[in-house]
Amino acid sequence: MRPVQYGSGSVNPKPLHTGLAVVGSGMAGMAAAICAYNRGISFVQVGQASELAFSSGCLDLFSILPGRFPKGFEDPFAGIDVLAKKKPHHPYSRLTHAMIRDAFAEFTGFMGSAGICFHGPEQNGQNSLKNQHIITPAGTLKPTWQVPAAMHAGSLAIARNQRICIVDIKGLKGFGARQMAQTLQPLLSSVTAATIAFPGRETAGDLMCERLAWDLENPKILAQFIGLLKPHAGRVDVLGLPAILGMYRFEKLRRTLEQALKKPVFEIPTLSPSVTGMRMKEAFLGKMTDLGLLHFPVAVSEIFPDKNGFVFFVTQGLQTMEVRADHLVLATGRFMGKGLGVRDEQIKEMLFDLPVAQPETRSGWLRSNFFAPAGHPVNQAGIETDDCFRPLDAAGSVFHPRLYAAGSILAHQDWKREKSGSGIAIASAFKAVSSIAENTPARSG
Amino acid sequence: METQVLIIGGGTTGTGIARDLSLRGISCILIDKKDINAGASGANHGLLHSGARYILKDSETAVECRQESLLLKHLAPKCMEDTGGLFVALPEDDDAYIARFPELCRKYGIVCKSVDASQALQMEPCLAPDLKAVFSVQDAVVDPFRLSLDNAADAQKNGARILRNSQVEGFISHNGRIQAARVRDTRTGDTFHIGALQFVNATGAWADKVAAMAGAHISMLYSKGSLLITQSRINTRVINRLRPASDADILVPGGTVSIIGTTSVEIDNLDDIRPTMDEVDTIIRQGSVMVPELATTRYIRAYAGVRPLVKNGSEKGRTISRNYTLKNHEADGLENFVTITGGKLTTYRLMAEKTADIVAGRLKNTTPCETAQLPLPPSRKGEWTEPGRSPRAWTARPRPKDTLICECEMVSESMVDRIVDTLLTEGSTPTLEEVGRRSRIGKGPCQGTFCSFRLAAYLYRTGKLDKKQGFFQVREFVNERWKGFMPLVRDRELARLEMQEAFLCGLFNMEVDP
Ligand SMILES: Cc1cc2nc3c(=O)[nH]c(=O)nc-3n(C[C@H](O)[C@H](O)[C@H](O)COP(=O)(O)OP(=O)(O)OC[C@H]3O[C@@H](n4cnc5c(N)ncnc54)[C@H](O)[C@@H]3O)c2cc1C
Ligand SMILES: Cc1cc2nc3c(=O)[nH]c(=O)nc-3n(C[C@H](O)[C@H](O)[C@H](O)COP(=O)(O)OP(=O)(O)OC[C@H]3O[C@@H](n4cnc5c(N)ncnc54)[C@H](O)[C@@H]3O)c2cc1C
Repeated sequence: MRPVQYGSGSVNPKPLHTGLAVVGSGMAGMAAAICAYNRGISFVQVGQASELAFSSGCLDLFSILPGRFPKGFEDPFAGIDVLAKKKPHHPYSRLTHAMIRDAFAEFTGFMGSAGICFHGPEQNGQNSLKNQHIITPAGTLKPTWQVPAAMHAGSLAIARNQRICIVDIKGLKGFGARQMAQTLQPLLSSVTAATIAFPGRETAGDLMCERLAWDLENPKILAQFIGLLKPHAGRVDVLGLPAILGMYRFEKLRRTLEQALKKPVFEIPTLSPSVTGMRMKEAFLGKMTDLGLLHFPVAVSEIFPDKNGFVFFVTQGLQTMEVRADHLVLATGRFMGKGLGVRDEQIKEMLFDLPVAQPETRSGWLRSNFFAPAGHPVNQAGIETDDCFRPLDAAGSVFHPRLYAAGSILAHQDWKREKSGSGIAIASAFKAVSSIAENTPARSG
Repeated sequence: METQVLIIGGGTTGTGIARDLSLRGISCILIDKKDINAGASGANHGLLHSGARYILKDSETAVECRQESLLLKHLAPKCMEDTGGLFVALPEDDDAYIARFPELCRKYGIVCKSVDASQALQMEPCLAPDLKAVFSVQDAVVDPFRLSLDNAADAQKNGARILRNSQVEGFISHNGRIQAARVRDTRTGDTFHIGALQFVNATGAWADKVAAMAGAHISMLYSKGSLLITQSRINTRVINRLRPASDADILVPGGTVSIIGTTSVEIDNLDDIRPTMDEVDTIIRQGSVMVPELATTRYIRAYAGVRPLVKNGSEKGRTISRNYTLKNHEADGLENFVTITGGKLTTYRLMAEKTADIVAGRLKNTTPCETAQLPLPPSRKGEWTEPGRSPRAWTARPRPKDTLICECEMVSESMVDRIVDTLLTEGSTPTLEEVGRRSRIGKGPCQGTFCSFRLAAYLYRTGKLDKKQGFFQVREFVNERWKGFMPLVRDRELARLEMQEAFLCGLFNMEVDP
């Protein structure tokens, strides 16, 4: 291994030895960390959880099989069966229904202990397991699998066709109650719209969701806010609000609101940055700290594989530490996450230069209709793996016996069109880490 | 609906004619199947030609450009940026052409001064260092949106009516006289008639189709040209390559950006005009020979327009005259129909004058043309089209109670209100795309991901949108932006695309019809 010099800082002489390195802190990295924790595998996690801050906070599983004539599925598992026949290399095709269910259960269990409770369709008292729906700012209904408690009343109201009133806030742009109500009217029997001015910010032109979420943690402001909502709660069954109901004490805050209004209240995700995504990130990172688990919110620039595992350096401030890991889960995402990049018009994997399945040339990446139902071919590009999610080399053999990949970096999926982002991330991470666990003697602690 | 003159086509030519006629006291209606500047007038290079580019092949156009550009700088200063221009030759460029250049300029009265190469590099540090010859000329930059919108506004002030989304589908004629045009409202699908004494076909590249509806024949060739907009302004003056017209040999600055182009590709279908990846690659490759940083700079958008070239013999593409074609159609047995097409943005006023002369003559109106003397009054219609203007206005006078709908280009709710007001004077209620065309919304780095929603939400809130209209308009708006972004996607742009798709498809499920 070559010597490494990092600026003027010092290299901590003692390397940190760990069973697993999780590279990436998006949905897949989070899921890998949770799985490792639950199995007693020691691990170190790196990566900024920045993409999470955009997420709606719902966990999608599967809803649409893209194609020239896309096929929608109410029951995601039925959809996954069809998908597996059509696309044997899709990440879901390497997973059983039971594994996917267990993966979700583990993930939501952990997040529940961190303060974010999810509701799956099984909690809606239906016999068949169908996707739930959430209202989006575009006035569409988006199918998803698990919704955070903050959105649950909305999904129930949609399923039960209840009377919904959506309330927007003067100065909060990109969130229009009338837009949503008008667009949703043909789909739901009763949606109305109302607008209120935010207490203390009545004349402000530009409101940020994050700011409002902090404001509402103040009981005085909350009381005024409730006062403004009351007139709109009368003739409806449930109230929908932009996701601004608190940053930390959101559960309590929502309950206070519901008791005062005597109606269930639900949140609707907003354009970025989204409070629901931030809550998830904060809850996860907070829990990691509570449990004394190691998380470095930094990027690693190089990883050196050897026959025992992987060596890399993490630098925080002036301190640089060497990490030696027996296994590694690559959960670095796609172009936004920076797991994938482009060199000379070829899509590249950035850390190991793993082969990337991709269209032959750049001219095959995209379609001229942005919304083409088949999706853009570039979105299917990614890392090919074996059944345990170990990346393959150019010859089609396992690249390194202890290297795994999870999440959106995987090839032959299009999470945005399939509505499968979190599902692929959680389930692939779960299988990868379970495979690692089988090869690792459990440690205590 | 009745009027004296129906003008078909709302580009610079049509709006110029509407102003000219209404100044002569002639009542007219101007219609466009889409919107003001929806054709070539909204998809060109914005260069107010000094004429120097045409001295070799097209001396008539060269002289007209010289005269008209000087006139317009005086009469419509608000629509211009008088940057001046350079012609630069690189080592591989033809010496014989370089030698003839100043000589020909002199011959046609075009001001042209030799500039020292080192001085040129000081004037424009972005130029390739190995310049063989440099001349300065009186090129300028024109904001074509502003120009057409100001013409339209002045025409309206003088009594003209404007109707957007109104497509001519045929004519009703009797004994060589057209009595009315059959017009379809492209929004509602309703058909109605507009009766007139005279009909003007100012439909640019579509002129042959509209003429055919009247029973006249024009032989045209469509030459598509694509252009790229850089993220920031690279040059101060217009920079032309000193060689016979070719790909990517002009870099035009404008507000906060620069525009490099063009290509010239013969096409035979006007339905889906878009720049291609190949064209983008060619433009960058060719342009960066003259201005090296074009190889590495970021581009925010590509776009394409179609030059209407009228065939007289067997010429092709760039060799066909850029001069305009004005037909009175008497040879076709039509007594109240004229076609004006081809030409340049730079010569729009002259083209309008010549057309209006025929029409006025037929109506026995003897009021002389006034557009060569009367300044073009700046209007509120065109005030927000210039890159960099809304940010300047916002920074100079930020209004805490006003909300920014487009954060990239700093377009606020009150600016949108004013745009909507002027659109309401042109017929039907405005769409996202129409507001976009009259402002910079969606033209910044986010390409409409966020601002299209904010704009839709705002238009819903103010009652301008109903039902599912906004959903489809956002999709249309995004797809229109996509046309200009897709061919630019090569590396970092993939992250932006991913973000946009994560929102629009991943989260909002917008690829599925509601
Ligand atoms: C706008 C938006 C809306 C979304 N909405 C939904 C939704 O409604 N439902 C849903 O299920 N999902 C949603 N998602 C989230 C989506 O599920 C996940 O983003 C996706 O599954 C990808 O997750 P990932 O963990 O594979 O990659 P990413 O989330 O991209 O994470 C990649 C991680 O790798 C890290 N990384 C990359 N390179 C390095 C390096 N060299 N060193 C260290 N770390 C590195 C990055 O910092 C990042 O932490 C949404 C996402 C976005 C952007
Ligand atoms: C790529 C490119 C770059 C250029 N660069 C320059 C430059 O730098 N300087 C310069 O001076 N000139 C330039 N030009 C030329 C200039 O843009 C055009 O000559 C000028 O804009 C033509 O204007 P117009 O009004 O005649 O046609 P258009 O602007 O094309 O207007 C025609 C209008 O007719 C409408 N229409 C069509 N059919 C119908 C129908 N059936 N019913 C109703 N309406 C209809 C269309 O919607 C359209 O709006 C360039 C052209 C191109 C293509």
